[in-house]
Amino acid sequence: MASPDPRRERLLLAGWLAAAFALSAVTDLRALGLAALAAAVAFRRGMARALARVARLVLPVTLAMSALSWAFLRLGAPAAPPLQPFLALAARTLLLAFLAFSVLARVNLLRALAPWPAATRLVVVALAQIHALRLLATESADGLRSRLPRRPGPLDVVRNASGITAALLVLAVRNAREVSDAMRSRGF
Amino acid sequence: MHVPDGFLSPAITLPAYAAAAPLWALAARRHLGRDAADALPVVGALTALAFVVQTIAIPVPGGTSTHLVGVTLLALLHGPLLAFLCESLVLLLQALFFGAGGVTVLAVNALAMGLLGPLAGWAVHRLLRRRAQRAAAFLGAWISMQVAAGAVALVLGLQHRIAPEYFPVPFAVSATALLVPSLAVTGLVEGLYTVLALALLRKADLRGVA
Repeated sequence: MASPDPRRERLLLAGWLAAAFALSAVTDLRALGLAALAAAVAFRRGMARALARVARLVLPVTLAMSALSWAFLRLGAPAAPPLQPFLALAARTLLLAFLAFSVLARVNLLRALAPWPAATRLVVVALAQIHALRLLATESADGLRSRLPRRPGPLDVVRNASGITAALLVLAVRNAREVSDAMRSRGF
Repeated sequence: MHVPDGFLSPAITLPAYAAAAPLWALAARRHLGRDAADALPVVGALTALAFVVQTIAIPVPGGTSTHLVGVTLLALLHGPLLAFLCESLVLLLQALFFGAGGVTVLAVNALAMGLLGPLAGWAVHRLLRRRAQRAAAFLGAWISMQVAAGAVALVLGLQHRIAPEYFPVPFAVSATALLVPSLAVTGLVEGLYTVLALALLRKADLRGVA
């Protein structure tokens, strides 16, 4: 649940940005371990959900790149390459993703953006359009699946995507005009 | 193709922010500096279009999937600077609202996927469009994907070169992981998509609509 205090939310966002840049410079495993412990204590509420997202979205890429690289380095060297840099890379990447998911779950970004009205308006318009266009794209994908007796292949999806892009562009432009009229009628 | 947080150190991400900031300012002044009621909804709508196109998953033989990028189409229709602005906003929304990509690597991703790739695709299209329009669009989109993937691979390679203890993945591995799917699948799919979408837009006479 989002915090009701916008100043606290802005502070949390600023702290997260500073921590993300600082942690992205760390290679020491002990320092990363301590930071992970601190993050686990600070963000224990909702930790399971954040960890599940990390495991689903970040872990596979990091593991695959690390395994491939370790095998590549092993081929060209008489001894096995050290594991420490790979462990540090995994720890850093997973910790940063965990922090991002945990912080973003606690912040109402639109409320935090309130001091910058132009940015807020742009984000609101983009998010509203994303919602509207995604509905159309999802319906189109469902339509494609229902029309075909088999699973749609890459060519089917590309052909359908090209067609839906034209419709999405028309809808986006029409929506933009409506938003533009609405903004003008409110004095912008 | 996104680089996640933690793969690149501030030695690379901070100069990337320094390089991207003036370009963001220029793009914002050119495309958002006019009457807010006119410009803002169009940029928002095109950003949403780019975002939604990127959610369309293309099944690839072998059980995995890739996705369209669509930013080359935006560059061909509205110019590379607007494509850069919209792709940067897409990456920011993905990082802040959906937890994808990352904030420290935002500038690197935006420069590679939003500027260098679409700029190369746009230039190729401009160069060849009088000779063969469809081939120019296909080649532009294909090259755009290769340039973006190559730029990301080069940055990761540079990170490995300046601090192998920070990023132990050698250039050969990152280049293979990024360029093989891009050369074999993503570039072809993006090229085909761009040609078909442009043909449909031309047929419906929608190019000038946005």
